[in-house]
Amino acid sequence: MRGLFKNKVFWFCIVVLIITFFLIRNTSSEREDITLVERMLRDTYAPLQSSVTELRDYFSGPRSIFSQKADLNQTIAQLEKEVARLNLENQVLREQEAEVKRLRALVNFMNNNLDKYQMSAARVIARSPNNWLKTVIIDKGAVEGIEKNMPVITPKGLVGRIGSVSEHTSQVNLITDREIAVGATLQRSRSTSGVVEGMVEGNLLKMINIPYYASVKPDDVVITSGLSQVFPPGIDIGVVYEVSEEPNGLLLSATVIPTVNFDKLEEVLVITDYIPVTEETTVPEEPMAEEE
Amino acid sequence: MHYLLHFLLPFMAVFLQSTVFGFYAIKGTLPDLVLVFVVFFSVIHGAAPGTAYGFLCGLLEDLYLGRFIGLNAISKALTGFLVGKLQGGFFRENFIIGALAVAFGTLLNASIFLLVSRLAFASFHFDQQFFIGIIYQFIYNVILAAPLYGWYYRSSRIGLLRLSREK
Repeated sequence: MRGLFKNKVFWFCIVVLIITFFLIRNTSSEREDITLVERMLRDTYAPLQSSVTELRDYFSGPRSIFSQKADLNQTIAQLEKEVARLNLENQVLREQEAEVKRLRALVNFMNNNLDKYQMSAARVIARSPNNWLKTVIIDKGAVEGIEKNMPVITPKGLVGRIGSVSEHTSQVNLITDREIAVGATLQRSRSTSGVVEGMVEGNLLKMINIPYYASVKPDDVVITSGLSQVFPPGIDIGVVYEVSEEPNGLLLSATVIPTVNFDKLEEVLVITDYIPVTEETTVPEEPMAEEE
Repeated sequence: MHYLLHFLLPFMAVFLQSTVFGFYAIKGTLPDLVLVFVVFFSVIHGAAPGTAYGFLCGLLEDLYLGRFIGLNAISKALTGFLVGKLQGGFFRENFIIGALAVAFGTLLNASIFLLVSRLAFASFHFDQQFFIGIIYQFIYNVILAAPLYGWYYRSSRIGLLRLSREK
């Protein structure tokens, strides 16, 4: 045991462990900015991830290629080469048509809401590489005017908020991440407020802190309340799937199916000019003239 | 050259997990390829090198994620250490050992991750779904480990991944 305390490697490990614990503590909450190393790492990955996304878009996704492989093999055996070529061409065209539809919906949504908010469209180029955090990387960053905490949406509803920004990419913390909480209300009653947070399975959400007397039932539409000071009010979050009573009997919770399909998230809109209404942002009264 | 390749493996693993594997998630669960490589490294090179490699690989993942920096570094370093110690260098050439080590390493890594995050007072929420996710990841990792281990072992013994001091 005494030999262990004289061992330099042992003390080195202890020091590394303490520094690492300190790092975990300091990075467990939201930081103002990411470090240079993180910026460089993310910007190194960005072009590679963009290429994969572009390739996937071009071939309408590796999943569909593999899932259709067996079918295509049968088709090739049965049909002439010309028919197979046309099938492939159709597949590409369908993907392009789907992309045009998505982009048209984005443009329409932007045009209809430009009087409300200034929005910047971005493409999702990567997803979180592990299961603990639910994030995506988009191809717009500080250079394009994106800042931390800006709300991210799609025409279908709320996506999340900007967690950190590098030069040309931004990390979006999705609302399905268990660390994100969104102030929410029911579109039908408006008076029922609660907090929506992420669950792990199937990208579901959970609305908590609903008073026991609140009128909440399946198929109720959940929208942002604007109380969280990050997200603008009135944006769709999801639809109530089921309601359950909390163990204390005083509160209810509801499982919410998000309106956005996070598995197929390809383009998003970042609201770049939302200023939450707080005491600090309200227009100050005119100062009284100083007495001479 | 081999050091560069050993760094490129977790670099590519993070890249694949953030792109390609995103399309093949089982109920939203991704495999942990970085962990798979850390376990392989520990099985082949032993506990001490496995610890250092695990720490660096985990740190790379943490820096990319940008939150709870150090959590993956510690959990993967300890996983590397314990897998290297417990495996003891026996039957390394057998791919079943590689798959078993990854199975054990996945559960170990998740347990250490949970413990360290609690000790560090990180505001990380755990629920039943978190543990279900670990089971999916366990299956996914083992499926990947079985075919990958043969290649990794050969490459570490006679190929590009062989460390110079072993020549």
